[in-house]
Amino acid sequence: MTVLAGIGTYVPAGRVPIEALADEFELTPMQVRVFRRYHKLGEAARGEETLTGLLGLALDDLALSDGQKERVRYVLYARTFPNVVPYPHNPLHEAVAAAGLGHAQAFSVGQQACASGLLAVDLAGRLVAADGDGALAIVLAGEKAFTSEARMVAETTMFGEGASACLVAASGERDRLLSFVARLRGEFDGGHEEVAAEFQRIYHDALGEAVTAAVAKAGVALEDIAVILPHNVNTVAWQRTCKRIGYPLERVLLDHVAAHGHVFCADAFINHRTASERGLLRPGDRYVIAAAGAGRGATFSAMVFEH
Amino acid sequence: MSDTVTVDPALREHVVETICALLPRVLKREVPDASESTTLMDDLGMSSTTGLELVLELEDRLEREISVEDLGRDDFETVGTLASYVAGNLLDEED
Repeated sequence: MTVLAGIGTYVPAGRVPIEALADEFELTPMQVRVFRRYHKLGEAARGEETLTGLLGLALDDLALSDGQKERVRYVLYARTFPNVVPYPHNPLHEAVAAAGLGHAQAFSVGQQACASGLLAVDLAGRLVAADGDGALAIVLAGEKAFTSEARMVAETTMFGEGASACLVAASGERDRLLSFVARLRGEFDGGHEEVAAEFQRIYHDALGEAVTAAVAKAGVALEDIAVILPHNVNTVAWQRTCKRIGYPLERVLLDHVAAHGHVFCADAFINHRTASERGLLRPGDRYVIAAAGAGRGATFSAMVFEH
Repeated sequence: MSDTVTVDPALREHVVETICALLPRVLKREVPDASESTTLMDDLGMSSTTGLELVLELEDRLEREISVEDLGRDDFETVGTLASYVAGNLLDEED
């Protein structure tokens, strides 16, 4: 059984307001108001760090003991975008080596855009379970907003910089993975303009279905879910998803949407840290981590954990 | 739900007219013959975000705040359904 044994996070202190992106993305003043008022996206996190630095700071925050480091056999880097740095840089290998984890196999996991983080946790759990000898894995996430595509998705979200590092084990006290559902929607493999309208139309139903399916697969009821730790795509998307599935919006941790933006594959894990700090996760609580990713195709994913 | 709220017919009619007047501005093109039965997404190709822009424009034009708590996709079906929602969900002035 996969367990999420620890989470390290890092979010830089710098912020860029949505207004600063208006010229680049030709946003009208009204579109900026829609982002602030309904999407509740006001600023996005930006830092001076390189991507290697971002990942390294999340790894530092995980604060592994020497004994744990020795047991780390895999480092998976979950990415929203296929390319996150110019060639020939390799921030994953640099960060892993700098953290004293050079002995681990390190590779990237993608193809599910912002839902790749959940896929990587599932894969990491299966890898260490197959080894069966106390091996550990780390799932890294987080990117730089270094291209236009990595700064904003039209009408949907603005990306923020940050990183997370999750320690994954095959057994342990916390947090036990009860279920994982990933709905792959290949029909959205097209240019943004071609598929955007239909994607928007089905988004909330599809995300809600992934959440309720994961909850059912875990054998629990939706009302027993203490909190949903979402991707930070925007607030109105979660308002509409919650309305469809009948889950109270106040139990979706949207604290960071306004100030971080959508932190690629890392935001749900950054939200996990906040939930822990706010005392929202008590021993025995079941909670959902959910994300949707769109790029070439779309994926709607949810995991249920027991704290 | 918005469709169970009793709305002032005159207010609703005023909202319908205001929406029709705002459509060219929000969609950035001419919208001839817009009426209560015009479907926003199917006929006009409105996206969920342009729908929200329309609601913000309505607030400015009506000089009233609109509660969007219960605003769903169904309310964006036609000019008429959106007008019903808006007329039933205007927040009191000075609130």
